[in-house]
Amino acid sequence: MNSSNGLQLCRRAFLGRGVSGLGLLALNSLLQRRLMAEVARGVVNPLHHPAKAKRVIFLYQAGGPSHLETFDYKPALAKMHAKPMPESLTKGQQIAQLQNSQLLCFGPQYGFNKFGKSGQEICELFPHIGSVADDICIVRSMWTEQINHDPAHTLMNTGSIVTGRPSMGSWVLYGLGSEAENLPGFVVLVSSGKGGQMQPIAARQWSSGFLPSRFQGVKFNSVGDPVLHIRTPPGLSENLQRDSIESVNALNRVENQTAQDPEILTRIAQYEMAFRMQASVPDLLDVSKEPSQTLELYGAQPGDGSFASNCLLARKLAERGVRFIQVYHRDWDHHSGIKANVAIKAEEVDRATAALIQDLKQRGMLDDTIVVWGGEFGRTPMSQGGDGRDHHIKGFSFMLAGGGIKGGTTYGSTDDFGYAAQENPVAVPDLHATMLHLLGIDHQRFIVKFQGLDARLTGIAGQAVSGILA
Amino acid sequence: MRWVWITLALELLCLKSDGADGADSQVRFNRDIRPIMSDTCFRCHGPDQRARMAGLRLDLRDEALKKTKSGVTPIVPGAPDQSAIVDRIFAANPAKIMPPQFAHKELTASQKETIRRWVAEGASYEKHWSYEPVKRPAVPDVRDSKVPIRNPIDAFVVERLRREGLEPSPEADRRTLLRRVTLDLTGIPPTPEEMQAFLADKAANAYENVVDRLLSSPRFAEMQTVRWLDAVRYADSAGFHGDNLWPAWPYRDYVLRAFRDNKPFDVFTREQLAGDLLPNATTEQKIASAYNRLNRASAEGGLQPKEYLAKYGADRVRTLSTVWLGSTMGCAECHDHKFDPFTSRDFYSMKAFFADIRETGLINDRGASAWGAKLLLPSPEQKVRLASLKTRIDAAQAELKQESERLFERRWEWEDRVLEAYKSGELAWRYQHPLSASTLHGAKLSIYNDEPIDSDYYMKGSLHSERKRGDGLVVASGPNPDNETYVVTFKPGPGAWTALGIDVFQDESLPGNRFARGSDRFVLTEVEAELSPSQKLPFVLATTRGFGETPENPPMAAIDGNPKTGWGVGFGEQNNPFLALRFADKVRTTADSVITVRLHHDSDLRRATIGRFRVALSQSEHSWPEDGDSAKKSAVAETSKSDAATLNVSVERGIPPAVLVALEKHEDDRSAAEKKAVLDHFTWAAPELQPLTVRLAKLQAERDLLESAIPRVIYTERTKPRITRVLPRSNWMDETGAIVQPAVPSFLGNVKTDGRRATRLDLANWIVSSNNPLTARAFVNRQWRQFFGTGLSRTLEDLGSQGEWPTHPELLDWLAAEFMQPASGARHAWDVKHIVRTIVISHTYRQSSLTNPSLSERDPDNRLLARQSRFRVEAETVHDIALAVSGLLVERFGGPSVRPYQPDGYLAAINFPKREYSASHGDDLHRRALYTQWQRTFLHPALLTFDAPTREECGVNRVNSNTPLQALELLNDPIFVEAARVFGANILKSGGARWEEQLNWAFGRALNRAPRDEERRILTDLYQRSVESFESGESNAKQLLSVGETPVPAGLEAKQVAAMSLVARAILNLHETITRN
Repeated sequence: MNSSNGLQLCRRAFLGRGVSGLGLLALNSLLQRRLMAEVARGVVNPLHHPAKAKRVIFLYQAGGPSHLETFDYKPALAKMHAKPMPESLTKGQQIAQLQNSQLLCFGPQYGFNKFGKSGQEICELFPHIGSVADDICIVRSMWTEQINHDPAHTLMNTGSIVTGRPSMGSWVLYGLGSEAENLPGFVVLVSSGKGGQMQPIAARQWSSGFLPSRFQGVKFNSVGDPVLHIRTPPGLSENLQRDSIESVNALNRVENQTAQDPEILTRIAQYEMAFRMQASVPDLLDVSKEPSQTLELYGAQPGDGSFASNCLLARKLAERGVRFIQVYHRDWDHHSGIKANVAIKAEEVDRATAALIQDLKQRGMLDDTIVVWGGEFGRTPMSQGGDGRDHHIKGFSFMLAGGGIKGGTTYGSTDDFGYAAQENPVAVPDLHATMLHLLGIDHQRFIVKFQGLDARLTGIAGQAVSGILA
Repeated sequence: MRWVWITLALELLCLKSDGADGADSQVRFNRDIRPIMSDTCFRCHGPDQRARMAGLRLDLRDEALKKTKSGVTPIVPGAPDQSAIVDRIFAANPAKIMPPQFAHKELTASQKETIRRWVAEGASYEKHWSYEPVKRPAVPDVRDSKVPIRNPIDAFVVERLRREGLEPSPEADRRTLLRRVTLDLTGIPPTPEEMQAFLADKAANAYENVVDRLLSSPRFAEMQTVRWLDAVRYADSAGFHGDNLWPAWPYRDYVLRAFRDNKPFDVFTREQLAGDLLPNATTEQKIASAYNRLNRASAEGGLQPKEYLAKYGADRVRTLSTVWLGSTMGCAECHDHKFDPFTSRDFYSMKAFFADIRETGLINDRGASAWGAKLLLPSPEQKVRLASLKTRIDAAQAELKQESERLFERRWEWEDRVLEAYKSGELAWRYQHPLSASTLHGAKLSIYNDEPIDSDYYMKGSLHSERKRGDGLVVASGPNPDNETYVVTFKPGPGAWTALGIDVFQDESLPGNRFARGSDRFVLTEVEAELSPSQKLPFVLATTRGFGETPENPPMAAIDGNPKTGWGVGFGEQNNPFLALRFADKVRTTADSVITVRLHHDSDLRRATIGRFRVALSQSEHSWPEDGDSAKKSAVAETSKSDAATLNVSVERGIPPAVLVALEKHEDDRSAAEKKAVLDHFTWAAPELQPLTVRLAKLQAERDLLESAIPRVIYTERTKPRITRVLPRSNWMDETGAIVQPAVPSFLGNVKTDGRRATRLDLANWIVSSNNPLTARAFVNRQWRQFFGTGLSRTLEDLGSQGEWPTHPELLDWLAAEFMQPASGARHAWDVKHIVRTIVISHTYRQSSLTNPSLSERDPDNRLLARQSRFRVEAETVHDIALAVSGLLVERFGGPSVRPYQPDGYLAAINFPKREYSASHGDDLHRRALYTQWQRTFLHPALLTFDAPTREECGVNRVNSNTPLQALELLNDPIFVEAARVFGANILKSGGARWEEQLNWAFGRALNRAPRDEERRILTDLYQRSVESFESGESNAKQLLSVGETPVPAGLEAKQVAAMSLVARAILNLHETITRN
């Protein structure tokens, strides 16, 4: 673009075109086209096979929800309550805080009900999720390898415990690109809840690892700036901010007449994107303009930063083409007082989770959105301190719904104690492989060279779980 | 149409990178065949015996020429038609084709042809290039070069370009050149004065002189240190779980000094790996050994120590292997390496070198024992003061003990008195109901006397909400200044008072650790009290219960008259911190007396101001800081403890629970601990002992403050080596693996010890011995990247089989040889500055970075070096450029890490304890980014956004991205806004009177050149538009100029400064400003 036309033209160009339009005008070599195409389209192009889903909403229950008080009904464990756990099950197995304690069975703290036509068994604390029972698939046979929060999160998110690997959201964004014009393609939301078991979560969990950082998850905050530095500095009008950005871009174009550097063109495109984000993100994150029945459906109060508000935001982000949305809800680390604490969690997540599924469905989006609900591990069938449960990795539950997932199904099982995955065990890489499969990606062919290896989200393992596919 | 072009472009790129370069040259194994085979064949037919299929091994020639069990011969030299591998790779049958379909690896037509040609030409093998000894290659003869050949680098590069039919570029213009070399070597752009001097210097060696000036600058050391810190994953926090801060910065300063003083790289290596093992190790060498402690470490309760020791050990092997060997030994943690000859046993043998480091799997992250072995680094003066204090404390303690024992008999009487006072309620603290509560700097204080108030707090890990009468609670809200003083008045009524109590409440409405209105703690720097009309009420003793150890904030600091020191609490939950301040003399009040209390919060921590508190008085003899509320809370917290349960917790205490329990028992029934508790309390409370108690408390507080100020560093202490086993598939619970002794990878040689267990020092000596082919290659390859944007081998972290074959292998070897044994111009072997100087002196480095369409097409990534590269500077430099250009930069070499501005709430996802950030003050806000506090789980966003690594894991190759978040950062982050407004003001102050001059001046500082006409026009428009906006009131100049701590200069009109600040901001945001070209 010829900057001698002055700011007027720039401004019009700026406001009138999306990134692709401007890209076509500005880009003039094969390489530059390749660069822009990569961002917009992703590297898996064409897809390895037809996709069932286009995006993922991962409702990450951080801290390790008890499967025994959510999705895995164990009447036999209730009968064994307070009796010693059979040593045959626990001998030589990893244990966290129960190291050197006597291992006593701890029965389920709540009853379970059958829900829906499918009659899925779900803990009585989650009637709203029960109301969408026929849309969801419960996996009762998850297992993982890491028994402490930080590494277990890292494994769940990146498929590896060595830090520096891309998170699943980054992989998906890298593979499929983004359809969002004014938003990052991978967004992270975090809420805390009222239980007090607030395990830390590192920013590494949404890092792009060795992939370029444009694929990293962008955390939207419920306090302060919704995105870091998204607000115009104090004292500047939006017009003046826009004029400033246009001037920077005009100056960069002048420089590019000499330098012929594709990075300059990318920089210009990114400043435009930044401006569009400034204009759209604060508005997007303000749920106060949502109809009251929608707020009611989710149980969200505008500005409360709750899981319910974040579920509603997730839907709005999904509508705008964000590829991967990860909604963390902290506070599931119930070493003590599990009975009271699970009830608090249920209060916080039950209605909102179900509302998200219903809302997507009524908008026709559930068919191409994968909703995943689960944490980094489960909790012991043994008691900790008489009223809590310790970390547990051998068997726990996940819930999935949406694009390509078989609703109304319970898949896999643990043994009678809810200790170890028994029938159809699903490992973390299997979950990843399934997700990729539904998105049209063969996890074995989705490779990035790193340190001499063919790095995959699934490492050298993983298989899509065909039993839960519609 | 667009997609067609893209596909075409991709194919062109693929073709270029395939096969042998130059159609007529012979196929070479290392260059042409190994990369193909390594990627597609070795996984099943390579070094890993367990993964090998069909008994066929292709990485060794002897093996590949042998007939296999199935009777075919994989390779028959000279006879591709008889070679099974050729047959299989060209097979049409999907069941027969190699690589098989399940491997998802397909050979291109050109790759297949290359393999066929190689077999036809005799299938000669070469040992992998990086495992061959480093030999100094002959320098090519390029006498008729059109560009100057300034040193062998140019000869190697020109020779290669000629083979490609390309020519090098001419030297860059002098402005570009000076900016480039100054940014590369120091990370700060040249000043206009430096530019003028260079342009005016007509001497033939003007450039060389500049290089020498830059190499001797401490900034050079700062720049090199950044890269080294990435590699050794240096950080200021532990990285796992609570990610608390640990003392590591003296190690960073060691690295700074090493680069500044050009410490030979072999010495540098030895000191870090084994500084503690060197004979008569100096303090400097011990600090260097902190290297071994920089891995992430966890304080998460419930972790299994053995598992974490396995993690730490593996991390050390990965780091050492990447940093010094350019190898991916990490792959051998689970199995023999798939591509390189590292066995799993090699991995664990390497790990065994570090088995003598004193450490625990679960590391304590708070209190005196935090972080295990620490080295204290007192200054000589601190040493003397500390010794003297210790002597005086010992003497004071002895005297107090003696006096206390002398008064032993009287204790019985005292015991009765105390018990009675407790039972009558006289010991209890009386909450005062304030008449007024005001502040000096704008915060709002609300009083809740009889009014109800909601509170939410955690107890035993769960949230408690209650609504009850405030009973004198004071709650801060509204404006939240960095420092604040609370002034509270109350009428105690008639009485005689011995002490004032300050009861601090935790509440979920507060940020961070829920004590203060900001920061990670509250700090009460001074408490003053007076009785109307203006009678000062001095305090003599400050006491608090022990919550969270914060020795830098002892209670006595609240009454020491020093406005910067204070009492504070950071860690902690479930207990309300309570401060008891004993009056010098009993305070007698009448019905009308009013007491005024001032709570000062004047520490350097921002917003370390108390959120909720009550004030209380005690009328009895020395009530202990244990009020009713905290008594209740701690009783609930301690319900499992038998004694607490028996207490009537509804009574307000004023006495330590353990003492109360003991007093109610007969002397003979008291345990030793109980007896001691009683004696301690007596010593604290007895009026006769007060002068001695006060003297001791003062000395102890002075010692606590002094000790907290002494720098310290985690470092290596040696212990008896733990047993190291091979862990099958890295399973730490599997103890069936062989026990291994420390050893280097067997294919690379061994360390001779005559049977003695090899040490880290042996390892270090082997790493820097001339027998090791990898260290020098890995290092010079990384150095090269700093000056061209890409290594000679792009894969800095992997010089193995899967790494990239270097674009200029002979040049890489020449540099490695020159590093280890310099031919000329160096001061010593392993001379880092010599290698850097050699690179930047070359013509190759000095070339113009301008490209043209045909060159871009031919060599898009500039691997052949027919020009210089252009790339964005690194995260730290982005920050430093803005500060340097604006005039904000404060340069100080080394020192504790600093905290630039950071958005509130950024650390909200961290816990144990909950965190809030407190930015530094003054100079420390504007230091080079290298000194920024490196919080691993939430790295400072300005660094993270520009691709700085978190340093959780070793990293030698930063990515360089270009994102919208970077734009938001440069446009809106307060540090960049502050830089822009200070730059704007400086343009007005120093840039001359006329607009043209001012723009010239600004461009000279930021870009080292004059603006072009079009650029002038654009910025003139922006300036005019800005003036209009500020004048019309659409924008607000004062608000803009209030961003950041730097004062607004006097004598300039705000609107003018603000408008110029926007011009400055546009310049600071330019791609060119953050690009080195």
